[in-house]
Amino acid sequence: MKNIVKTIIIGLGVFISINTEMIATEADKADTVNGAQVWADTCMRCHNMRQPSDLSSRAWSFSMNHMRVRAGLTGKETRDILAFILASKTESDRN
Amino acid sequence: MKKLLMGTTISIVVSSTLYAASSQNAEIAQLQEDVKTLKLANQKMERESDANAMSGFQLAGYSSFDYANEENGEDSFSGVRFAPIFHYQYGDRFQFEGELDITINNEGETDIELEYAAGTYFVNDYLGVQIGKFLSPIGQFVQNLHPSWINKLPSTPVGFGHDGAAPTSNVGIALRGGLPKVANMRSNYVVFVSNAPTFGVAADGDVVIGAEGKTASVDGAKMWGARYALNPIGNMEIGISAATGDISEELLSGDELLRDYDVLGADFVYHFNAISLRGEYIQQKVGENTLSTLEGGTWRAWYTQASYQFSSINLEPVVRYSDYHNPETNRNQWAFGLNYLFANNIIAKIAYEINTDEDDSAIGSRANNNRFLAQFAFGF
Repeated sequence: MKNIVKTIIIGLGVFISINTEMIATEADKADTVNGAQVWADTCMRCHNMRQPSDLSSRAWSFSMNHMRVRAGLTGKETRDILAFILASKTESDRN
Repeated sequence: MKKLLMGTTISIVVSSTLYAASSQNAEIAQLQEDVKTLKLANQKMERESDANAMSGFQLAGYSSFDYANEENGEDSFSGVRFAPIFHYQYGDRFQFEGELDITINNEGETDIELEYAAGTYFVNDYLGVQIGKFLSPIGQFVQNLHPSWINKLPSTPVGFGHDGAAPTSNVGIALRGGLPKVANMRSNYVVFVSNAPTFGVAADGDVVIGAEGKTASVDGAKMWGARYALNPIGNMEIGISAATGDISEELLSGDELLRDYDVLGADFVYHFNAISLRGEYIQQKVGENTLSTLEGGTWRAWYTQASYQFSSINLEPVVRYSDYHNPETNRNQWAFGLNYLFANNIIAKIAYEINTDEDDSAIGSRANNNRFLAQFAFGF
């Protein structure tokens, strides 16, 4: 039984690796509308929303890579959310 | 003579004006060239600045301060926690994150634990390969909700702390990421292999599963696990987790033996307007081994929690029920809390816990004591 479960898990890993490599990276154009939607859907599931002005633009880029791992975001979703947050920053806190 | 003088004067004035105009034009051209050069230099600096912003490090984290007043017990300022999180990233290809959990114990000494330290290489938009010590991907609480500024109550659900029913961390390799939408539903996954956990008797005499990530692996014993989570609607997630493998036990003789080890988990979260509902179930099962005097068994815990945020007055009432069963006892807890949000990441919490534990036979046992708790927490 254990060997079956292990085989399934290894197979799952190999399947994911092969298939995600074939799908490769989506078009690079960030979509702020999708970013706003994923931001609204995902962040509140675990914690209170952080405002775009809470962190600097640079800090947001780090924070989004952290959340990519933690929240299971795709690379495209991560870029979209970051683009939305940076676009939402006011001129005075755009740094 | 007069005409000659006048002609000479006019010639001098005209030639001077022409010379001055020519000189001015040269200066303007030079200035224009300088401005152009400066603009190019500025653009280059901006590009370099962006590049630096994408590759470098950042310090984040959280901190909290606790007060506890226990029924039939003492009241004290019971906890000080500082948990810095170090982030390094190289573009959007690689990131490292490490968290230290720095606390003060009852004797006033400082305890430092490495909560996690793992690097992730993003192969493509859907696959990250993570290596190092990472928080257990089984379930939700340990991985995503343990930071004090995120946890809506000052305490963890029973069974979800260290040495409870929920594994805490792993040392190994994980494949993880979000998956392409199917039928307009998002989903994410983690598949991992890590060193096997340990099984034994703790200092307080309890038989515990040491599901904290370790760098040793008896006879190369490993555990294999996965979590898959689906978002049927945007603000809802349903996850299932499983792991299997071996667990190692050190006998009194110093010999090590391996036993069967299986983990199952299920979790959900639903956020609707200002209401947040969540719940989680985790069980770890340890098999029998006739060479050991310790019996195996099942450690299982679950909790469900509801909260509502009154954004106009920054208040958030929370209620949680949690239940923990292990081969030695059954424990459950009701927790009622009220939070005040100074900001979304700066929170003052008060809570009252009603604790019930079947195993309160030990002299001085405080397992059944109810507690009033207060906590000030912030994330940065």
